[in-house]
Amino acid sequence: MIRALKLEWLKIKNYRVFWILISMYLLALVIIASGGGLFLAWLKSEGADFNGIDPTIVPIFDFPDIWQNITYLSSFAKIFIAFMVIISVNNDLTYNTLRQNIIDGLSKKEYLASKLMMIVSLAALSTLFVFLSGFINGMLYSHVRGMEVVFAKTQFLFAYFYEIAVYCSLAFLLSLLIKKSGFVIVALFLYTFMFEPIAVAVFENAPYFKGGVMSQIAQYFPINALNNLISVPFGRYIFREIQDYVSVKSFLISFGWLLVYILSISYILNKKDLK
Amino acid sequence: MKTTLKIQGLSKSFGKIKAVQNLNLRVMPGQVYGILGPNGSGKTTTLGMILDVVAPQSGSFSWFGGMPNIEARKKIGAILETPCFLPYLSATRNLEIVAHIKNADANRIDLVLRQVGLFDRKDDKFKTFSLGMKQRLSIAAALLANPPVLILDEPTNGLDPQGIAEVRQLIVDIANEGKTIIIASHLLDEVQKVCTHFCVLKFGVKIHEGAVSETLGEINKVELKSSDMKNLALLLEKFPGKEKIENGGNTLTMTLKDGFNAMQINEFCFNNGIVLQKLSTHTNSLEKEFLKILKDHD
Repeated sequence: MIRALKLEWLKIKNYRVFWILISMYLLALVIIASGGGLFLAWLKSEGADFNGIDPTIVPIFDFPDIWQNITYLSSFAKIFIAFMVIISVNNDLTYNTLRQNIIDGLSKKEYLASKLMMIVSLAALSTLFVFLSGFINGMLYSHVRGMEVVFAKTQFLFAYFYEIAVYCSLAFLLSLLIKKSGFVIVALFLYTFMFEPIAVAVFENAPYFKGGVMSQIAQYFPINALNNLISVPFGRYIFREIQDYVSVKSFLISFGWLLVYILSISYILNKKDLK
Repeated sequence: MKTTLKIQGLSKSFGKIKAVQNLNLRVMPGQVYGILGPNGSGKTTTLGMILDVVAPQSGSFSWFGGMPNIEARKKIGAILETPCFLPYLSATRNLEIVAHIKNADANRIDLVLRQVGLFDRKDDKFKTFSLGMKQRLSIAAALLANPPVLILDEPTNGLDPQGIAEVRQLIVDIANEGKTIIIASHLLDEVQKVCTHFCVLKFGVKIHEGAVSETLGEINKVELKSSDMKNLALLLEKFPGKEKIENGGNTLTMTLKDGFNAMQINEFCFNNGIVLQKLSTHTNSLEKEFLKILKDHD
């Protein structure tokens, strides 16, 4: 495993594009995590109020709610991490270095392991950043402190890690199937933010489908299952009941998809001629 | 002695095209084995299969008398078609990746870069290299693990005449170290200059196999000149090794029977009172043989 990870490290260590992308991504994570307060301040300056309540006192940074808030928002940026996976896999295909690695004596399993280790490392790095941003913001603004509340609900951090790992595995599979990186990026972006959400919205809400089989099936869609891991937390601030735990059902559905991705990837690696 | 490579009944089709059909080959240690064939005759596909990047449809191959393929590939330095490196990394960094995969000593990187004459450019990015330099870097990569076997696919493709001469010299030097080399080429001249054994592929079928020296045969033609051409012609008619004499005006060309050589002619003429002005021997060129082999199988 260390050997596989080192291979990937040698490939990206001096790759400037990769480091520019990852810096931008980490910066985006910090802005997402810390921007909530600024957003509320802006709302206030625009004269918005919630039934007479000053927006800036909405306790978005309170432990342990902060973990769900921050992981929910940060998960939107997962597509940037997927871009890095796409670029890395695509380089190996366009420059034929995958084939050369195999010729040089790498096994296909090791290649798979090297990319999966990269995905796990990127997910771990993102999670660490989200944890640090959440911890620092919480320490600065939370109205409640203490070990018990601070580290309660950290299940959302695990869910966030898992969500990125599964999503990047999908990106890995797509990069092997579609060889043009630009096309993969556009396809993944459209599917994640338009095609599937629209399809889900139609199946779940359109009167024609409501209550039927399709409205049930929508929850099994790959992106929807990932999105359902951490549900929208902001309802709690207008006194609605929200799902304040990680959905086990979505976790299992996503796990099924993860297996599909990894098995397809190893099938492609083993069967396809590397020309 | 263990067979370096043994191929049994290897076949591969791409759709309707039969790229390689029922190929059997055996490469022994120390041979410089040339796989000859016109473009599209299945050379690269064959190499791809024995290197595990193209899945064979049927048949099998074994390295070093049955070593697991992944281990075997670490002991083989191979280039397939174009040089494949990451363009954004320097020569050294690219070779670090190869060394890591092959578990080779990274200290050899400078050594092999010197060997192929790229040491001065070792910190430059691969994308800034000319085609010849890229080709030489891939030879450096192949040599990195100091492997007992080298596989070179069109190693002089795209090189200038000087580069071609350098690479061929490099191959001969490596062969003299006792390494086994498998070369795929459509350049007959190349195979003739560096190979000890060769086979010819056509439409994926092996149509000829043998040692280069056997196929080319021994010297069988000599060109002769003397101040007294008339008597020379008369005398040579009596030479026991004569097969045929052609009069080319200024010179005579004699085809020899097997077992006779230029020294015997020289001696024969001298003893019979004729001093030769010119005596030059001609070997068959592989090119002629090759065209003949291809023609025979049309």
